[in-house]
Amino acid sequence: MITTKNYDFDAIVVGSGITGGWAAKELTEKGLRVLVLERGRDLQHGTGYLGEHAPSWKIPFNGKPQRELEAENYEVQSQLYAFRTANMQFWNNDKLNPYATDEGTPFQWFRGGVVGGKSLMWGRQTYRWSEEDFKANAKDGHGIPWPVGYDEIAPWYSYVEKFIGVNGRKESLPQLPDGEFQKPMPWFAVEETIAERLKKNAPDITLTNARTAILTEDLPGRSACHYCGPCENGCSTGSYFSSQSSTLPAARATGNMTLRPNSVVDRLEYDKASGKISKVHVVDSETLQRHVFSARVVFLCASTVGSTQLLLNSTSEAFPNGLANRSGVLGQNLMDHFLGLGTVGMFADNRDTYYYGNRPTGLYIPRFRNLPDQQEDLGFVRGYGYQTMINSSNWMGSFNQKGFGAGFKDKLTAVPNTWTFYAGGFGECLPNPKNRVYLSQKKDRYGMRQVAFEFNWGDNEKAMARDIQTQGKRIVDAAGSAFTMSFGDVENLSIPGSGIHEMGTARMGDDPRQSVLNKYNQAHDVSNLFVTDGSFMTSSSCVNPSLTYMAFTARACDYAVKQMEAGVI
Amino acid sequence: MNRREFLQCAAIMVGSAGVSGHVLALSQAQMTYLAAAGDYVKKPATLFSQQQRAIVAAAAEIIIPRTETPGAIDAGVPHFIELMVQDWLNDDERAIFMTGLNDLENHTTRELGASYEKLSTEEQLAVLEALEAGAGDSAWYAQGNVRRAFVSDAPFICQLKELTIWGFFTSEVGSKHVLRYNPMPMKFDGHYPRKPDDSTWAPFTTYR
Repeated sequence: MITTKNYDFDAIVVGSGITGGWAAKELTEKGLRVLVLERGRDLQHGTGYLGEHAPSWKIPFNGKPQRELEAENYEVQSQLYAFRTANMQFWNNDKLNPYATDEGTPFQWFRGGVVGGKSLMWGRQTYRWSEEDFKANAKDGHGIPWPVGYDEIAPWYSYVEKFIGVNGRKESLPQLPDGEFQKPMPWFAVEETIAERLKKNAPDITLTNARTAILTEDLPGRSACHYCGPCENGCSTGSYFSSQSSTLPAARATGNMTLRPNSVVDRLEYDKASGKISKVHVVDSETLQRHVFSARVVFLCASTVGSTQLLLNSTSEAFPNGLANRSGVLGQNLMDHFLGLGTVGMFADNRDTYYYGNRPTGLYIPRFRNLPDQQEDLGFVRGYGYQTMINSSNWMGSFNQKGFGAGFKDKLTAVPNTWTFYAGGFGECLPNPKNRVYLSQKKDRYGMRQVAFEFNWGDNEKAMARDIQTQGKRIVDAAGSAFTMSFGDVENLSIPGSGIHEMGTARMGDDPRQSVLNKYNQAHDVSNLFVTDGSFMTSSSCVNPSLTYMAFTARACDYAVKQMEAGVI
Repeated sequence: MNRREFLQCAAIMVGSAGVSGHVLALSQAQMTYLAAAGDYVKKPATLFSQQQRAIVAAAAEIIIPRTETPGAIDAGVPHFIELMVQDWLNDDERAIFMTGLNDLENHTTRELGASYEKLSTEEQLAVLEALEAGAGDSAWYAQGNVRRAFVSDAPFICQLKELTIWGFFTSEVGSKHVLRYNPMPMKFDGHYPRKPDDSTWAPFTTYR
């Protein structure tokens, strides 16, 4: 018997983004009465996407950034490629909800500000981890061993992929396992040319569709992509996966979900007698009224940094250093992928073709370094992949040139004779206890201590970055580029956080002295606490992590409910 | 009507004034918002004198003239420039612009005997070319320097060009009648044939 009258709800889920939506769906579908607490404002799927399909002439300043407003309210968020006037409402207001940016080291913390969280603006890249990824820590001694292997998580990958809808192409690569794919999106002609040349000139390189959580085939309640382009403005047809388009409606359909926006959870109260979380303390961001809710289990899905901040803030006599932190590792081992490095090539091929429609994803070059059958010592461990994009320029790419008149107008209007191919590296980051989230003495408007960051890239990342540049040049040259150029600075890697793959600060492991969570995302120290956002990650792989977060969330829900049914929790 | 048909309708709706009940059914708030938002270029501006307006219009039309397709004036660019100078440029940037504009009025009168808007188009072009020659070392012209913040100390001619080009290609007229506009393509075709006089697609979002 799961439902009892002793609690307000059977389960409380903190956060409504990528993982919170999954926890809500899984737990409600299993019959639990679930309260979802979202710190952001309410937003309706579809009707709330006010900037969707907005033409440039309808947008203030025709889309030029609202500089004063952004500097005032979105100092951090506005630095991101996906931030714009058309979707400004989705983002965290940095003035209202700040973090301590003037201490520690620079770190960009990108956050959502509405129901759906970052699942509304995410990059939609969806990759499975490989067996090697889960073995990496045990093998080379960085971090602690993963308590889970690929075989254990593979069925959950399938389960999630089928529901969210992932388009991709099967490649039978051990380092990038195939999944349950919808048909892949078509390629630019010049991408096909590049792939053919790579097959001949760089046979160790695979160029495949970026596996992306965008529909190419209809799913119930969601339509195949209409190729308008800017997914991150919201999609009323639900063509890309977001919790708003997919998991939250599924949870709502059960009748078991109560979703409470504007609900900032500032403390989890621990009951020493039962050894469990007894209360969840909430402050309403609109009214500033306080509320307390109880539930049999609590799922933290508040984002890596958000959940870590909440746990660190939830101190008690039993847990003076933060809830579920007997190990002392809570907040440590913060990771993010480094990016912003790579190679760009200019291609004069396929000039008889242009394109129709805006394909909202690119291609992908899976990891090809330090694979199990390769013995060469590269001076670094682990590996990286490249996300690639084709660009055919337009007036925005050349407006700052000299000239006037009809000829100038023609130049700005004409289809260019070349294609630009970008290959941007995404490198694995090693877990390092010195890279961390910690609490500042500064408090926010709710009295919660703000987070600050300490993060420095290590020698392994720097050595890998150099290889990304060398190999990128080899690949783009092999593809037949007429002009090849590296971009990014190997001496100054990307600002930590800018990969928006922050993870690892409440890692899982078999040893409670070295980890916060067990293999089912359950806190070693608090049996009714599950943490399933990116903070559970024990290492980072080089692939985008969201699919792994979702798969572990679904698995943790399954485990939690079984434990509840058995009366263990 | 299925959802695909809706989307095609939505494209028409967004692109023109046609409103159908079906369209409104799905995303009424969104459509209401877009319709109510109005065109940015229709907002009022009160910064320029009538003569300054004439000068800006003449200069914008020199930068992007009407050819077989509409030009800057057809696209409402002069008013867009006034709005941007009034509301978007900061005080220092606005001072640069107003000084430059003043020069087009007074300096050309002294040098060429008439205010800028009264000069022949050849003379108008020559004046702008001279300004550009004098501004050639501005960071504004740096190759590849397109995805960046507005160059705050850019000289007047660069401000004028940026606002003209931006206003033109993001306008409804520029997007639909000079570029090609299709916010709802429904498919992706990477082998779409290219014809000699093709123009690019109006971008679905602008660089920041």
